[in-house]
Amino acid sequence: MSETMALVTPEPKRARLSVESGSRPRPAGSGSRAVGRTVLYVVLIVAAAAMLTPFFWMVMSSLKDANSVFSVPVRWIPEIFVWENYVEIWTRSDILTWIRNTLILSVTVTALQVLTGSFAAYGFSRITFPGRNALFLLYVATIAVPWQSYMIPQFILLSNAGVANTLWSIILLQAFGAFGVFLMKQFYETVPEDLSEAARLDGLTEYGIWWRIMLPLSVPAIASLSLLTFVNTWNDYLGPLIYLRDPSLWTMQLGLKNFVSSLYDTDYGVLFAGLVISVVPIAVIFLLGQRFFVEGIATSGMKG
Amino acid sequence: MKRIITVTAGLTIGALALAGCSGGGSEGDGVAEDGSLTLTLSAWSVATTPEFQLLADAFHEKNPNVTVEVKDYDPAEYNTLLTTDLAAGKGPDIITQKEVKFLTTFQEGGQLLDVSDVELPEGIGGADSYKVDGTAYATPYRQDSWVLFYNKDLFEQAGVEAPDGSWTWEDYDAAAEELTSKLDGAKGTYEHGWQSTLQGFANAQNGADVLAGEYDYMKPFYERVLKLQEDGAQESFNTVTANQLTYQGEFGKQKAAMMPMGTWFVATLISQQASGDADDFEWGIAPAPQLDESTTGTDAVPVTFGDPTGFGINANINDDKVEAAKEFLAFAASEEAATALAEIGITPALLTDPVIDAYFGSEGAPQDELSTFAVQTHETRPENPASNKTAAVQNILNDMHSAILSESASVDDAIAEAEGRVATEVG
Amino acid sequence: MTTTATPQRARRRRSRLRMRNTLLGWSFILPNFLGFATLTLVPVIVLFYMSLTNWNIFGSSQFVGFDNFVRLVNDGSFRTSFVNTLYYSVMHIPLTIVVSLGLALLLNNKLRGVAFFRTAAFFPYITSIVAIALVWNLLFSPDYGPINEMLRFIGISNPPGWLTSANWSMPAVVIISTWRDMGYYMVLFLAALQTVPRELHEAARMDGANVFERFWNVTLPSLRPTMFFVTVMLTINSFKIFDLILVLTNGGPGQSTMVISQFIYRKGFEENNFGYASAASVVLFLLCIIVTIVQFLWNQRKSAR
Repeated sequence: MSETMALVTPEPKRARLSVESGSRPRPAGSGSRAVGRTVLYVVLIVAAAAMLTPFFWMVMSSLKDANSVFSVPVRWIPEIFVWENYVEIWTRSDILTWIRNTLILSVTVTALQVLTGSFAAYGFSRITFPGRNALFLLYVATIAVPWQSYMIPQFILLSNAGVANTLWSIILLQAFGAFGVFLMKQFYETVPEDLSEAARLDGLTEYGIWWRIMLPLSVPAIASLSLLTFVNTWNDYLGPLIYLRDPSLWTMQLGLKNFVSSLYDTDYGVLFAGLVISVVPIAVIFLLGQRFFVEGIATSGMKG
Repeated sequence: MKRIITVTAGLTIGALALAGCSGGGSEGDGVAEDGSLTLTLSAWSVATTPEFQLLADAFHEKNPNVTVEVKDYDPAEYNTLLTTDLAAGKGPDIITQKEVKFLTTFQEGGQLLDVSDVELPEGIGGADSYKVDGTAYATPYRQDSWVLFYNKDLFEQAGVEAPDGSWTWEDYDAAAEELTSKLDGAKGTYEHGWQSTLQGFANAQNGADVLAGEYDYMKPFYERVLKLQEDGAQESFNTVTANQLTYQGEFGKQKAAMMPMGTWFVATLISQQASGDADDFEWGIAPAPQLDESTTGTDAVPVTFGDPTGFGINANINDDKVEAAKEFLAFAASEEAATALAEIGITPALLTDPVIDAYFGSEGAPQDELSTFAVQTHETRPENPASNKTAAVQNILNDMHSAILSESASVDDAIAEAEGRVATEVG
Repeated sequence: MTTTATPQRARRRRSRLRMRNTLLGWSFILPNFLGFATLTLVPVIVLFYMSLTNWNIFGSSQFVGFDNFVRLVNDGSFRTSFVNTLYYSVMHIPLTIVVSLGLALLLNNKLRGVAFFRTAAFFPYITSIVAIALVWNLLFSPDYGPINEMLRFIGISNPPGWLTSANWSMPAVVIISTWRDMGYYMVLFLAALQTVPRELHEAARMDGANVFERFWNVTLPSLRPTMFFVTVMLTINSFKIFDLILVLTNGGPGQSTMVISQFIYRKGFEENNFGYASAASVVLFLLCIIVTIVQFLWNQRKSAR
């Protein structure tokens, strides 16, 4: 155990890799460093503006009335600020139900995807057995098939199993995707074999190695997989559309679309208000959870 | 490896068996012990489309032992969802036909019951759209037609003579140009981006069969519209699509003085004027501009286009419910139902005088004679023929439509390409 | 080769080891595989079977062999969508990799407010696709949109029609798609950059390598597994692209942005030719697989070095 720990315990130096612009003393002096930094910031701010402009338009439009959202010429700031759009969503629609459903789905799917995915990825990357590569290729191959192509046989299957029109259908659909397995496997390949070897010598089972060594080492990968899975499930529209017919099961995207549209008409102001509300939780999660992508090997969670 | 193969094979066979033997029986049974029946009916946007619940409640009043349960579907994906449900054997008892071009999909898939024996009132519009080889597979309850909406206030302001029912397309173009030059900022007319706004008229007024694969007759229509676009008498197609202009907004906010549109807009405009989403102005309805003088004037019958909305019956319905289902279809087409629908602004398939009176009886509806004439008197030719080739052909024509009006291709080239594609791609 | 054990016993030990490994491997894979097999693998196999029939969704289907595939070859629309898909991918893939890797490198930093910039980069991905389509259509509006206004301002008198022009629609789609995807792949690259051992960088710096050389000789090789992953996912996603184009242009104007996935959707759900649509899906699948295998082999060769 001790040897393994010695190998795995993070050394203080093994922190984040940084592109250090100017940590070494440069002959040119600090002047060029400041200029470099300023240029960098300017570039970043312009880029950020480009990223956020559409979102800014969305927020502005959420404060317009239905017939003013689209106009000629394009209006950035609304003439009259229609705050009622937000009030309307909170009071007149079932938004709390939608948020609850979306949350349940996103959290469950993410947890299952990460667990089973990283578990399977360990089998694919660390254990050699006949047929392994072919099976893995099969996994990746199914990613190559567009979903709408096999959506109907899949629906018939789930429908006959009695889970259509329940939250389980979406959970089952999304939790066992090949994407998670693929991502984690690639990540595991960057972890040197010596760690596992040492652990085996110490008497750890393969399961133990996975739990105590691989998982803690792959925090960035787990963080990114969790985030991406969460976002995908949160924003998923077509899947819930087909499987969740009961209004009490609707997710944010579904409920919103239904709330603002009739056959020929869509109240875009209210729609955008809802979409803005829908984006906020994810943005917050991302902002707060970032450090997990860029943290080095986790310093927490090492027992023993 | 062998294990994988055997397991996969077993699962596959199982799944195929499931896939093959599904599709039987509509959801649940709906036949209770005491003889009361429940019929499920597919609908969309139930919260904002009251017609379904209205029919369901009215029918229940007349037949207390039959309850009609309305199932809500997403309007934009209605067909996909319905198809998915039917494929899995979970479809509704009464299948609402949202678009005629999908009728043959259901009919060829054996999903629709023969309803030729359902009695329909005389003069009801749209029944023929649901006939395949002489057998009716659905019955209409609603038929929208395309008419010309116009803003009376703007016409007065510009000093241009309002439509009087005698217009041909030349008169329409001339008015549009004159209005644009005389109005301050508003355009003469607004043509929405759908292919139907142009092709519907071209097909109906030329008596053309859209499946025949020859589209030269559309050329004059496209040339007209391109000229209007060029002269600025209407917003260009590219702006309409890029800026996602809504026809409700363009006409409702008085950005255009005229607009060819379907009669469903009447109810929307009335309610938007009441809620303030649209401006408060005088408006009216005129018959659609005609191809030539032969069908103009209030003594003749103007030619326009439109498709009905109707109900079909699930072929896998429980036998005990068939009669009740057929009665529902007959009821929905009857004058009684039509009057109730007209009161909430729906254009029913049956347009007798009492129905029309109810239609124009709501507050905010135009009261002039021309409007009444436009809504009641027309020869409405189907926009989509009932055939399994319709969807493919319409898709090709839609591509042609966007190519021409976005000025990516010349009219001749685009038409030639469309004709070629129909010949090779549509079997 | 001398062994202390007899050949027979050695063989038994080897096969016992193999058996142990197989069981072990499967025990890891099983939870995920069960779900995957029933919910994805089986429907996909059904799909492949359907491509050989004239299935019209409602149960009945007749075996027609390769008729669907022959028809695909002669179908002008399919050829157009195939070419469009390749055109889109060839532009989208390199652009996205360069931009997202660049962003990751740039933002893998202790700058002040870097968390904000990273979030900004990720925003396009979390925004609803409906909103994206609406906004970008407006921005690219040929007569009234801000982008063309800016182009006219800097002197370009006849700016392109972007999403409304048959020639410029696909480039516009590529721009929007890259804008949307770069945050996604940036996250993956950021996570991967953490695995590059710092000691190697230190060593390289001691040897006098500059930033670019360090990137090329230290960072990039260490990123190989992730680069493989990103490239494969990006390639497959590019070939499969559907929702974004559907809401942006619906394949238009004309057929200039119609891609294979949309062809499949139209034939299957709008024209009820599900067997035919399945055949097109199989072609798309083969395209993805062939390219993936090529990438896989190249990756194997590089890692063996």
